[in-house]
Amino acid sequence: METTNPGAQPAAAPAAGETLLRVENLVKHFEIRGGLLGISTIGAVRAVDGVSFSVRKGETLGLVGESGCGKTTLGKVILRLIPATSGKVTVKNRVLFDIPTEEERKAGRRATVLDAGEMKKARRDLQVVFQDPYASLNPRMSVGEIVGEGPLVHGLTDKGKREDLVRELLARVGLNQSHIHRYPHEFSGGQRQRIGIARALALNPDFVVCDEPVSALDVSIQSQVLNLLDDLQQELGLTYLFIAHNLAVVEHISDRVGVMYLGMMVELAEVDDIYVRPAHPYTVALLSAVPDPNPRNRRRRVILKGDIPSPANPPSGCRFHTRCWLRERLGNPEQCTTVVPEFREIQPGHAVACHFAEEVTPDTIGAAARTGGPVAS
Amino acid sequence: MTQRPTRTGELLSIDGLKTHFYTQDGVVKAVDGVSFGIRNGETLGVVGESGCGKSITALSVMRLIERPGRIVAGSIRLADRDLLALSDEEMRDVRGNAISMIFQEPMTSLNPVYPCGDQIAEAISLHEGIHRREAGDRAIEMLSQVGIPDAKRRAREYPHQLSGGMRQRVMIAMALSTNPELLIADEPTTALDVTIQAQILELMKALRERNRMAIMLITHDLGVIAEMADDVVVMYSGKVVESSDVNTVFEQPHHPYTKGLLASIPRLGEKRHRLEVIQGVVPNPLNLPKGCLFKRRCPSAMPVCDTPPPLQEIQPGHLSRCWLTPAGEPPEIGADAEAETAVAAAAALTVEA
Repeated sequence: METTNPGAQPAAAPAAGETLLRVENLVKHFEIRGGLLGISTIGAVRAVDGVSFSVRKGETLGLVGESGCGKTTLGKVILRLIPATSGKVTVKNRVLFDIPTEEERKAGRRATVLDAGEMKKARRDLQVVFQDPYASLNPRMSVGEIVGEGPLVHGLTDKGKREDLVRELLARVGLNQSHIHRYPHEFSGGQRQRIGIARALALNPDFVVCDEPVSALDVSIQSQVLNLLDDLQQELGLTYLFIAHNLAVVEHISDRVGVMYLGMMVELAEVDDIYVRPAHPYTVALLSAVPDPNPRNRRRRVILKGDIPSPANPPSGCRFHTRCWLRERLGNPEQCTTVVPEFREIQPGHAVACHFAEEVTPDTIGAAARTGGPVAS
Repeated sequence: MTQRPTRTGELLSIDGLKTHFYTQDGVVKAVDGVSFGIRNGETLGVVGESGCGKSITALSVMRLIERPGRIVAGSIRLADRDLLALSDEEMRDVRGNAISMIFQEPMTSLNPVYPCGDQIAEAISLHEGIHRREAGDRAIEMLSQVGIPDAKRRAREYPHQLSGGMRQRVMIAMALSTNPELLIADEPTTALDVTIQAQILELMKALRERNRMAIMLITHDLGVIAEMADDVVVMYSGKVVESSDVNTVFEQPHHPYTKGLLASIPRLGEKRHRLEVIQGVVPNPLNLPKGCLFKRRCPSAMPVCDTPPPLQEIQPGHLSRCWLTPAGEPPEIGADAEAETAVAAAAALTVEA
């Protein structure tokens, strides 16, 4: 008895190729404790609130959104680094977990969760590269130990052969093999990120979650790491879930892109489609806000008003309605504040959660854009 | 010893600035002979990667360098005042009055135990000698000027009650409350989300128009530079490697480092392709290479690069610290000459001569 959002499925289903990862109605709420003894639940941060999509083998799905949109939490829940509140994640046809919602539980549906032994096997296929190369490497372990630990734990190598394996991995990510006995502090930020990538590759995974892998790096180092991720995907047939806030980086690396806002997926499409014809007013504003490294293109922008609302108390109806330029233009239709928009397909492979996505046209965008300062001569 | 053509109407002039840090491991030449100027009302973008000395240059202008750091040479002039010759007391007067500064992380620059409005009012009453109550009203006025809704209520709130974008607005309100001639903004939007960054940049543009102040905008984000700056200075390992007006730097970069930076950033709307990279990493400041500091990473490196290249004017107003000719060719003399000839070549080519 699968309960899937009927609107979400067709858009989330890959057009071709084998599906590697399927995420269905994933929900993660963090309880806020309070009250007299600090043990009663007084609310919840709805970090991820019903997200569905799938990733096909060998592709890169980019996930963008601003802080607090839930993109990092989503990655962690998929990897089971934190438990989901409800929802289902399937990797290579193996169900990692299938947790019913409150109502479904009352109706008698039971949760299915892979046991620890099976999960350990599944983890070989699921690896992660974290954002901060300074915080994600144990300072007391040498590079050899950091990179070789996974294969050792999974019995893919023994202590004798470990060094050879690690050397091979270091060469693969462009690090000097002779640095195997060095410690993390002896490396620069870019090199540390390469160590993190080598660690992720050590178990020969199919699927790697890259959580802001280049945002802590300097510009000239960013491109080195992006090219490395590209090469590794070509050579090893990896599938990436690439989480980042930098839209240019995501455009560069992704085949398809999902945009998140306050715990929900608001738009998902092929990269060329979404960057050229964004259909959600939030995507429009996000793309418009990126400063273009071309001084002759000081263009008009759609500037959003106000801040991102708190995910502990998201707005009713469409969560974006408090900042939406389109709603204002359409004379504040009531629907936006009362009805949660369905995540619907407006074109094959292009899904969007907006009641009025058809009104997002070059005309309405142009009218909403204010002058972005003096135009360079 | 001016390394650059002098321009009229400069508000801030930095010449041959050297700020060194005397650490236990040796001398770190964080800023090593930096010269540039900002005209009244102009926005100068200072761009470079971590450790290139851009923030230390800004702190030197504010004279906020702490031990083991020291300004060891050079001059910093604001209009007709020599900032390095001022007494501490006189400098305090310059800070906040003539020059204000905003930082990357507003949370660390605001006092967590005082309401935001009080902090702005304090700055106003200190600098203008007006009564606290009057200053409080001015603070509320400043907060609404920087686009904070319900400013009267917000003025009573503490920094932790505000979002990152709101805090940066408070910082800007505080910085502008004394009508500075020069605003130094050190990565003002780096910690902010992109839609909030767009709001803050828009605000800075509007205030710049209205107050006609000069801005020294320090950032690693070439997009922000392209959006905001009139002129650009590119720094690398404590030195200026290129400077010109913004269009020239982006369209006809001369220095291989500038070229590499511009080629290595992914841009919106460009098809997926392989990114250009700058090989290697920034040199260790305690162990800088001899000659050109960029030579180990440079695709155009040649023997003459063992001699430090001067900052030469390759076109009117366009300076580059590279041995390549203005057309980007290797220089005829010195290309495969002995070191001695190279030094002679250096003397011949330099505008310092």
